[in-house]
Order: sequence, then C-alpha cells, then structure tokens
Amino acid sequence: MSTTRIAIAAALAAAIAAPAVTQAQGNVEKCYGIAKAGKNDCQTDHSSCAGTSKKDGQTDAWLAVPKGACEKIVGGKLTSS
Amino acid sequence: MPLALRDLQAEMAAYLVSGADADILGSIVGDTIPAAARLRIHRHQLYESLATALAGTFSTVQQLVGDPFFRSIARAFIAQALPAQPVLSEYGEGFPAFVDTYELARGLPYLADVARLDWALNLAFNSPIGRRLTAADLSSIPGEQLPSMKVGLAPGTRVIHSTYPLDRIWSASQPNASTAMVDLGGGDAWLLVFRRPDDAGFIVLTEAEAVFVTALAAGASLEDAALAAFAANARFDLSVTFSRLLDLRVFVALQQ
Repeated sequence: MSTTRIAIAAALAAAIAAPAVTQAQGNVEKCYGIAKAGKNDCQTDHSSCAGTSKKDGQTDAWLAVPKGACEKIVGGKLTSS
Repeated sequence: MPLALRDLQAEMAAYLVSGADADILGSIVGDTIPAAARLRIHRHQLYESLATALAGTFSTVQQLVGDPFFRSIARAFIAQALPAQPVLSEYGEGFPAFVDTYELARGLPYLADVARLDWALNLAFNSPIGRRLTAADLSSIPGEQLPSMKVGLAPGTRVIHSTYPLDRIWSASQPNASTAMVDLGGGDAWLLVFRRPDDAGFIVLTEAEAVFVTALAAGASLEDAALAAFAANARFDLSVTFSRLLDLRVFVALQQ
C-alpha cells in the first residue's frame, strides 16, 4: 500500500468516524434551497381560464428589454444589443 | 370530405406552431364565435399555460428578466419545442440551450447558466428520496478497503459549472433577496445540486471538490477521485469534503 493510498484511507476513515469534528471547522456552507408550489397541469395563476383571451397573445412580442432583477448584476446589460 | 383524424391532428399541430390557420380553418366549427377566433383562443391558452409551467420551472430566469420578457422567450421556445409528453414538470429540458441562442437575451450571457441551475433544481426536486449512503453505513468497512470503494450519486444530484458567480446571481434573484449588487466578474462557480428531504438545494463547491464529485459520478473509486481532486488543487481536503458530502446525503451505495 503506497503512502498516498494510506493517507487517502486515513482521510476517508476520519471523515466517517468524526463528521461532527469536520463540521466544527467551519467548512459547512450555507445551503440554498427552493420551495415550490404544487404544479397542476391545466392551472394558471388565477384560474384554468386565465389564459383565455380572444386575442392571439402576441401584443407584447415587441418586448426586448428585460425588467427584473438584472439591475443587481454589475456587468450585465439591460438592453439586448 | 372531413379529414382523417391523423391528418387533422397533424394540421392542428402545425397550426399551433405557426398560427397560420388557412389549412385547418375548414375543419373547425364556427357560429357566434367564428372558427378563426376559436383557434386563436385555443392557441393562446396553450402558449400561456406552457409559459406559466416554464415560469414555475425556471423561476430564477423569470425573476431576472421579469415576466413580460420571460414570456416572450417562453413563447419562442414553445413554438419550436411543443411538449412531447404530458408532465409539465418534465417540460423544458431544451430551454437552457434555447436561452443560450436566443438573440434578444444575448446581452445577458449568464442567463443560460441560470436556466441550467433552475432545470437541475427542478430535476432534483422531482427525484425520489430513497435510501442514501451515510457515514454509519461505511463504518463497518475496513479502512484499507475504503480507497477502492465506489459510490454513486443519488438521483437528482449533479454538478453545475459556470464561468459566472452563479450562486450569487441566484441569491440576488430570489424574491426576498437583499439589494446587494453582484459582480459578474466574480469568477467561476461550481455548484452541487441535490435533493433535500423536503425540497431541492445546492451548495457551493471548490473546483477540486467539483472534480472529486464529477469523478465519482463517472464511476471512479474514492482513491482515483481523490487523486484527480489533488491534481486540481494540492490543498484539497479529502476528509472534510467527504464528510460534508456524506452529511448532505448525496451518495447511494453501489453494488460492488
């Protein structure tokens, strides 16, 4: 068994034996999570008929400029040039 | 003569993509609501429903660009990728790649990576929890056998690499995020997305840690994965990383 392999075996054994110790070293980072609402197949925000319009829904097809959280990203552009 | 069902369906599908109703119009009933209007209502409903489903899956992308712009991307995507199956949470696999090529989003080069993260979170969220490998499971294995062991990644677990600070972009895009600015030049990010007991989440990895997990996912032994990680960064801390990953329950036992 090589020195490297012995070191790897020791490190793995330590990880299994003492998880609490390694946590105390501050290497456990914040974990980001998502919470999702249930998704129903034929459901929109308001009712199943929220998308029902006699128009073709293309009236905002000219929109080319995002309006959202992009302003917080420095170096990102707001226009789509 | 009425169209055969197969031809009617094909023409209907073609209409839903193109919006050109000349071929299908004769097959649709009309009275006080003309046939053309009925078709438009159905097509509009379809696009809006699918765009809403995409907005649920790609909620961070939506937060970043706002709903009107998101819907214009979504409609363009839907027109060239109608669902092939009925489960809406499985719809949108091709969306990140589409965002990457979407002309109007070219000014937001990080947007496709955000979409990839959203998709990975969606896959993790819809993955079964199942039995996970814990430190206790491994404690009975003799220490000298550990290096040659192989472990599998639990369903829904995957590494995402971005040349942008993806974790900070994601944080800044959450509904209750602070107004802190994110520097796009903040460097690469490696994220590990995984299923948690009640939802999905991710942590930030170092490059060496990402190499370690990626090697394990490809079937490498713990020793070979560790050597690859050491090669990426000599200061890789195998013990801390392995312990942390076990705590997160991202491994499953493999049949040896």
